[in-house]
Amino acid sequence: MSTLHVLSHSPFGDNRLASCLRILGNQDALLLCGDATYALQPGSPPFEVLQAAGVNLFVLAEDLQARALDTPDWAEAINYSGFVELSIEHDKVNTWL
Amino acid sequence: MAKSLLLISRQAPWSGPAAREALDIVLAGGAFDLPIGLLFLDDGVFQLTAGQNAKAVQQKDLSANLQALPMFGVEDLFLCADSAAERGIATDTLALGDVKALTAPQIAALIDRYDQVITL
Repeated sequence: MSTLHVLSHSPFGDNRLASCLRILGNQDALLLCGDATYALQPGSPPFEVLQAAGVNLFVLAEDLQARALDTPDWAEAINYSGFVELSIEHDKVNTWL
Repeated sequence: MAKSLLLISRQAPWSGPAAREALDIVLAGGAFDLPIGLLFLDDGVFQLTAGQNAKAVQQKDLSANLQALPMFGVEDLFLCADSAAERGIATDTLALGDVKALTAPQIAALIDRYDQVITL
């Protein structure tokens, strides 16, 4: 069983990202959208945590572009069609509201 | 067969409506006999401390709703052991009995077992 975890809040304002990484299963994937993409700010603690975590990481390209952030080679940028595909590929979606 | 639902409640009881709304979802599901579980994660574990006083902040008490869970058939109650330990909460003095403390890998396995999951 696999779960797609969706984060949309800034990692600098709360601990959703840390909690999510802690309970992420082997088959799971993580999608960053909205302010959660600030986690890919190079040199920041969340960036380094994600880089070291080696998780299956996706990020909404338009939200990165809006924030002048780049996609590191250990993440995959997707569009909304990709978001839909990911949602279907996984058994369930857990949105961290 | 109804789909099973895991509700993950991760907000403190007095920080807004999220904690109460999460409980309402669980109680409603229980009333309709849905297979439903409730996990307290992060600040959500603060909902479980004993001796809270809602009147002091002019709010309604959540403890009555918590105590109603078994009556509504909601018996799969869990809390994150790490979240509790980080906040100095002893899991043997909670306001609610029969809440199972789970490690992070156990929580990953728990999420796997349910058809759907809602995190509030």
